[in-house]
Amino acid sequence: MSDILLQAENVGIRFGGLQALEALNLTVRDKELCCIIGPNGAGKSTFLNVLTGTLRPTSGSVRFLGHDIAGLPLHRIARLGIARKFQIPSVFPSLSVEDNLKVARWGAPSPVRPVGELLELVALGNRAATLAGELAHGQKQWLEIGMALAIEPRLLLLDEPTAGMTPQETLATADMLLRLKGEFSIVAVEHDIRFVRALNCETLVLHQGRRLRSGPFHDIETDEMVRDVYLGRR
Amino acid sequence: MIARDRNWLLIFAICVALAVVYPLFAGGYQLTVIRDALIFGLFAASLDFFWGRTGILCFGHAAFFGIGGYIMALVTLNDAIPFGSLLGIIGAVAGAAFVAAIIGYFLFFGGIRGSYFTIVTLAMGVICQQAAVSWSSVTGGDSGLIGIPPIEFDLGSLHIDLSQDLPSYIFVSAIVAVTVLALWSISRGRWGTVLTAIQDNEVRAAALGHNAPLRLLVTFVLSAAIAGLAGALYVCMAGLVAPDLSGLLLSTEVIVWVAVGGRGTLLGPVLGAIFIQRAQQTISSFNPSLWPLLLGCVFVIIVFVLPDGILSIYARLKALFKGGRRAQ
Repeated sequence: MSDILLQAENVGIRFGGLQALEALNLTVRDKELCCIIGPNGAGKSTFLNVLTGTLRPTSGSVRFLGHDIAGLPLHRIARLGIARKFQIPSVFPSLSVEDNLKVARWGAPSPVRPVGELLELVALGNRAATLAGELAHGQKQWLEIGMALAIEPRLLLLDEPTAGMTPQETLATADMLLRLKGEFSIVAVEHDIRFVRALNCETLVLHQGRRLRSGPFHDIETDEMVRDVYLGRR
Repeated sequence: MIARDRNWLLIFAICVALAVVYPLFAGGYQLTVIRDALIFGLFAASLDFFWGRTGILCFGHAAFFGIGGYIMALVTLNDAIPFGSLLGIIGAVAGAAFVAAIIGYFLFFGGIRGSYFTIVTLAMGVICQQAAVSWSSVTGGDSGLIGIPPIEFDLGSLHIDLSQDLPSYIFVSAIVAVTVLALWSISRGRWGTVLTAIQDNEVRAAALGHNAPLRLLVTFVLSAAIAGLAGALYVCMAGLVAPDLSGLLLSTEVIVWVAVGGRGTLLGPVLGAIFIQRAQQTISSFNPSLWPLLLGCVFVIIVFVLPDGILSIYARLKALFKGGRRAQ
């Protein structure tokens, strides 16, 4: 039991009259990779916000290494070892790529990887001096992954890491994550099926705020119910 | 060293050299004019350190200048306090920093940013000026306090007496140079880079483990402390303190100095303060009502044409010619 990193139990959240999430459970073990998928509006991002402590669930609990993290200030959550990549690429546009990574390292309690190694990991070795605001969209996403790595997380949460990427970039991103697998736990929220297929990991399918299915991806992919939901038949 | 840093140091060195040779050509009166302008330049640099690095505009910075001035006046005018000048300066700096820490704590940790911060600090400036007018038993009311003695203290075996023009000019120039250089090295290093990151995207910086409100608060407090130092120096040189020194007009003027000189350059605001005050004296001498009109026009033109201040003319011209060549 000691290798459980993040445990969400019976999480529910209400916004006024809307039950956005209901009775969700998720257990992330150390160094495990898992995906959360679901059609638009299924509650993926909301669930991720709950997992990072940004939103406090109205019922249930989220525990990271046994601590309740709901409502902690953002920088405290980061220092516990939870890194997050936002859905919209949020790099610091007026700083260079290198400075972006430096700012990320300075925030970490004990950074290990030097900036040069981070640059290579996210394939931006030749763009170190470029202003982050001038990068192409896909490169911004990678830079953000690099910034998340810089804080040497125990858990990396990715919110639609491939949003707006070309198919090639999407597969390159999946490769990047597969290479990092085994160093820390990764939870990716995604609706690009090609990306999830490339990762081929434990997958949780959300639909209308509830768990629809969970299990290894190849089981999910062949599931009739999941197909119906994705095709809008239900 | 990157080119931008080298250019800054070069301009800084030229300014220091000019300040060193200036007394050879100028008489006592001109020295005191530049000295007072330099004090306001220090005040402008203090605002720029906060505004330029965080992008958050403080519209009541004169409050800290005034608090520094009044504390300095009250301490040095009280014969019972020994080492008046030295304790006065320390008190002025600490007093301004203390007020900034209290106000800043509630604003930054309460999530107040942008225009709301500007509006609250505007009110703070007005309150400070009102307090200076109304609390007349201590502050002397509308007429302020007069007869503040010049700065005088012993530094080891060195006796520093700033009652004469030249020593006071040298003392003020040295303080301005050292402070501006110190603020510059803070803002180009790690501290400044993280502040730029916070300015770009505060939530992101926090998600990376940076305590953004604390960092903004410390920057604000440091900025206010230097404004307090400038206020303390000014009242000793002028010999009087009045409610105007914490007023809305001065708060506005300092913003114009920073905008004209170039926000975020630290050196630009000092030059902006000197040039604008010089222009004010020249223009007011033949028509006093012309000045506010001209100042307003200059400000509008700068904001529209040169939003990065007068120091950016060179960079803009360079970009223009480069762009022209590429087009051919």
